[in-house]
Amino acid sequence: MDMILNALKYLAYVLIFPGFLFCFLSGLLLCGIDRKLVARMQKRVGPPILQPFYDFFKLCGKETIVPAAANKFMFLMAPLLGLAALVVLQLFIPVFQFNIPAFTEVADVIVILYLLLIPAVSIILGGASTGSPYAGVGLSREMVTVLACELPLVLVLLSVGKVVGASYQGGICFSMTKIVEYQMSHGSLITHAGLIPAAIAFLLVIPGETGNHPFDAAEAETEICEGMLAEYSGAPLGVFKLNHGIKMLTMTSLFVMLFFGGLGSGIESLVALVGLTGTAAHMVSVLLAVLLLFLLCVIVTAVGISLVHAVTARLKIEQIFKYYWTVVSGLALLSLVLVWYGL
Amino acid sequence: MKYIDLLNFLNPVHFPIIAIMLYFLGAFLIVLFGRNRIVRNCIAFLATGLTLTLLILLVKPILIDGGIIPYWMGNRVPAGGYAIGIALEVDALSLFFGLLVATAVFVAILYSFSYMSEDDNEPQYYTLFLMLAGGVLGMVFSGDLFNMFIMVEILTFAAVALTAFRNRVTGALEAAFKYLVVGCIGSTCILAGTILLYQQTHTLNLAQLAYVIPRVGGTNVTVAFALLFIGFCTKAFIVPFHPLAADAHGAAPAPVSVMISGVLTKSGIYGIIRLSFFLFQTMNLGTMQFWLVFLGSVSMFVCVTMALAQHDFKRLLAFHSISQIGYVLTAVGLATTLGASAGLYHAMNHTLFKGLLFLTAGAVLHETGTTDLGKLGGLSKKMPWTTALFLIGAASISGIPPFNGFASKWLIYQASYEKAVETGNIGFALVTICALVTSTLTLASFVKVTQSVFFGQLPKECENAKEVSWGMRLAMSILAILCLVTGLFPNAVQKLLTIPAGSALFNPNAYINGMWQSHLPETAAPAVQTVGVWNPTNWLILLMIALLSICIVAIASKYDAVRENKGEKVALKYSLFYGGEETEFSQVGGGDLFWGFKQNWRHYFSFMHNLHSGIVNDYSLWAVVALALAMVYALIVL
Amino acid sequence: MMTLNYIASFFLIVLGLYCIVVKYNLVKTVIGLSIMDYGVNLLIITIGYNPGGTAPIFTEGELQAASYFVDPIPQALTLTSIVIGACVTAMSLALVIKLKEMYGTLDTREIRRLRG
Repeated sequence: MDMILNALKYLAYVLIFPGFLFCFLSGLLLCGIDRKLVARMQKRVGPPILQPFYDFFKLCGKETIVPAAANKFMFLMAPLLGLAALVVLQLFIPVFQFNIPAFTEVADVIVILYLLLIPAVSIILGGASTGSPYAGVGLSREMVTVLACELPLVLVLLSVGKVVGASYQGGICFSMTKIVEYQMSHGSLITHAGLIPAAIAFLLVIPGETGNHPFDAAEAETEICEGMLAEYSGAPLGVFKLNHGIKMLTMTSLFVMLFFGGLGSGIESLVALVGLTGTAAHMVSVLLAVLLLFLLCVIVTAVGISLVHAVTARLKIEQIFKYYWTVVSGLALLSLVLVWYGL
Repeated sequence: MKYIDLLNFLNPVHFPIIAIMLYFLGAFLIVLFGRNRIVRNCIAFLATGLTLTLLILLVKPILIDGGIIPYWMGNRVPAGGYAIGIALEVDALSLFFGLLVATAVFVAILYSFSYMSEDDNEPQYYTLFLMLAGGVLGMVFSGDLFNMFIMVEILTFAAVALTAFRNRVTGALEAAFKYLVVGCIGSTCILAGTILLYQQTHTLNLAQLAYVIPRVGGTNVTVAFALLFIGFCTKAFIVPFHPLAADAHGAAPAPVSVMISGVLTKSGIYGIIRLSFFLFQTMNLGTMQFWLVFLGSVSMFVCVTMALAQHDFKRLLAFHSISQIGYVLTAVGLATTLGASAGLYHAMNHTLFKGLLFLTAGAVLHETGTTDLGKLGGLSKKMPWTTALFLIGAASISGIPPFNGFASKWLIYQASYEKAVETGNIGFALVTICALVTSTLTLASFVKVTQSVFFGQLPKECENAKEVSWGMRLAMSILAILCLVTGLFPNAVQKLLTIPAGSALFNPNAYINGMWQSHLPETAAPAVQTVGVWNPTNWLILLMIALLSICIVAIASKYDAVRENKGEKVALKYSLFYGGEETEFSQVGGGDLFWGFKQNWRHYFSFMHNLHSGIVNDYSLWAVVALALAMVYALIVL
Repeated sequence: MMTLNYIASFFLIVLGLYCIVVKYNLVKTVIGLSIMDYGVNLLIITIGYNPGGTAPIFTEGELQAASYFVDPIPQALTLTSIVIGACVTAMSLALVIKLKEMYGTLDTREIRRLRG
């Protein structure tokens, strides 16, 4: 009986929170907020905030056409695989001190970096399976973008691992739980002087990793007709759009947990102050933590994605690569060196 | 008493020599009776299968119980402190490499049965193949330095002959000749090194050398070290010997490529490990660690970038092969238990996934007659099995979780970063970064292969391609399953195989004691300390739950109710989008991909292209320069 | 006397390597390989030689503590090495013949279809 209940509990984690349903709602909401913000920054009215939801359901009602040249299985499976990988990835990112130990002890932050490749690979495989030349160009650019983001991300994560590891055995630490734990007791990592360049670098990586403007050469609508998505229609296209939203959520919440993980430390005492105890207190504090996380994600989106979108024009692919491997990696490397020599 | 002798035959002590002899016996019997196809296949199958079984039987006494099997040929045990007879000695490290060899050989032979069936001179092929296998197995089991040299010569010979086996293929002869010349420089180095050691120590027995060398020292010994080191480097194709591997792989039949990359390079790595950890025990010197890690990182990075610039499937795989060997060398060079274990783990994975990839490349060659990335495309509809197996191999080598490449690379990242933090040396952190970036570059070049061979549009020339035969698919599937299993259970693999083998590196006295029944103090290797968190089985369960539930939702909502072309005349609706132009063939080939990356690195790429001139004199010059540098370095630091 | 041997073997090895690196003719490359091999053989023999020693051939009971003979092991090694050297030469010459048939030249600078 216990086992069944346990299994149901974990199924609920995967399907509802922090899994599928949560990702679905907040990912698309984040997308909508981003679009609205960009519109306001450009003095447009912009779509309603719920527009991505309308788009998603509209696409699900549309006909899916599989091109004659495509590999049907791959064509249909790629979006679902990407979605599943992203949902599972979201399970590994704790919500401040509230984590599900069974999940957060599955993968550490370096593994998360590699798990992030799976959605990228799935969209590449999906695009490649159509046989479209636009997809060919698109996947090449997508891969170069992933490659460009990899170096700064690695450097950032190594710096974080070094700082956090100082108070754990072995001298390095990549476990998400421990990184957040460290921030609870030592204050958020953003207050660590040596990590400020790393935080900036990570912020700059977010739009590249999610494929947002100005780093969206892979999907350049006006140039290569959305690249890998050129042949997609109907529900699979809708799922890819959903994946994009979830990836924004994943990247922003990862950023929040890595650099602002200490902000949630007051929640429990706040709840206790109100006078709640026991299960109710726990529920309320989890809810508050989630709201805080989402709020922070929105702020990060506003600064890291929308603002950058609003003020820049799309870069060419070789400029993207150069930018990430020189400017952003330089910042991250600076951080690593600072951290290494004890700053 | 006769029957007792017979039973004695089944004593595990005899297994190593029987395993080696089975290969050579098989080779010999095929020369005699190999005209008939069935007899030939039976002999080859039995020889490889029995060897594999024998080595698996040795896992219990050696890897689990930690025993060491010394074996004196003809029972000529040493007299008066002189090793008169030729010795075999199998410790955990030897057996680990032996298992890799036997597995790769067995799978490659299975594959050869159908793959080589249309070639002429098939008996010679199997003879050479088994000799190559026997050479490598003999080398890793040998307890005698000169015997190692002989085995190296045998395997070099067999490899050269097999490279040139399909001598009508463009470049086969050329590749074989280049390999022969530089390979012989390497072998000569090994011989010269051996004899210089003999002069100083008057023994050729590895265990005795391991005991004596740290006690004699001297310039001769240092020079011998450099010579042996370079000799084994040519066998492992470490930079600057990598062009030979690329040339040889491109021309050799696919199962031979499996042997060269999966088995032959391992013999070089084995030699380097024996040399640096056992004979000279130099790996406690920071300078030697630096040297190995530096060489490994350079190989890793240079070869992956060379691979990105290739437009031939097998050549590309060949460069990746060396790049992965760079990982192994780097990890071993860290000289920590975790590093050694991770390096050996990666060596094993390299044999598995590289074998798989070369076999899929062979399947493509078998069906289409070409491996030129520019001439292929869209094979996924014709060869779904091969495509799926290739994707598994590609995901493994690119380090995508949960396949085995990720499991070992992830240990290597940890090992190098732990080393960096432990020593406070930021250089090792750069190695971590290099390894992580190389992994992504690997992914990039496999995206290129996927797009230009298996996806994209099908050219007219490839329309007759069909799925390969069952035998070939079976061989590939075995490797694919092993790739998945070793990736999903990293802890079990480490506990059973790599940690015993890796710990042996730090306990050379056990090796000496095992052979000489002496009682030198043995030191237990420090325990492996991992800081990372990764639980692939749990992740896979979660992914499966998520994927299943998503699929259920998708099917319930008619996700798969699609409109597709059912054989009628291609309607405009199903043809690809060309911006209103008429549909035409326009495959985005391998060479056109990654422009954004190559544009930034164009000077580097054109420099590297010119450097790999293809002239044998240049490659020999690199070998000589490498030898000179190694000598200077050894004389300075040792 | 012995020093001269060492110098000669060193000279032969270097000459062989020089020949391999500098000469553009395939046959000369093969000759270079052989010369290098001879150098190493000379080295082995020299290492095993004891001035004034007898041949290391003894029947049972003949060997005494006072017997002074040259080291037999290097001689055995040399024999093996010579055999291997011959194989190398044979194999490489066979390849040279095939290469000449296929490329129509013996110039290494023109035998470079595999490059880059």
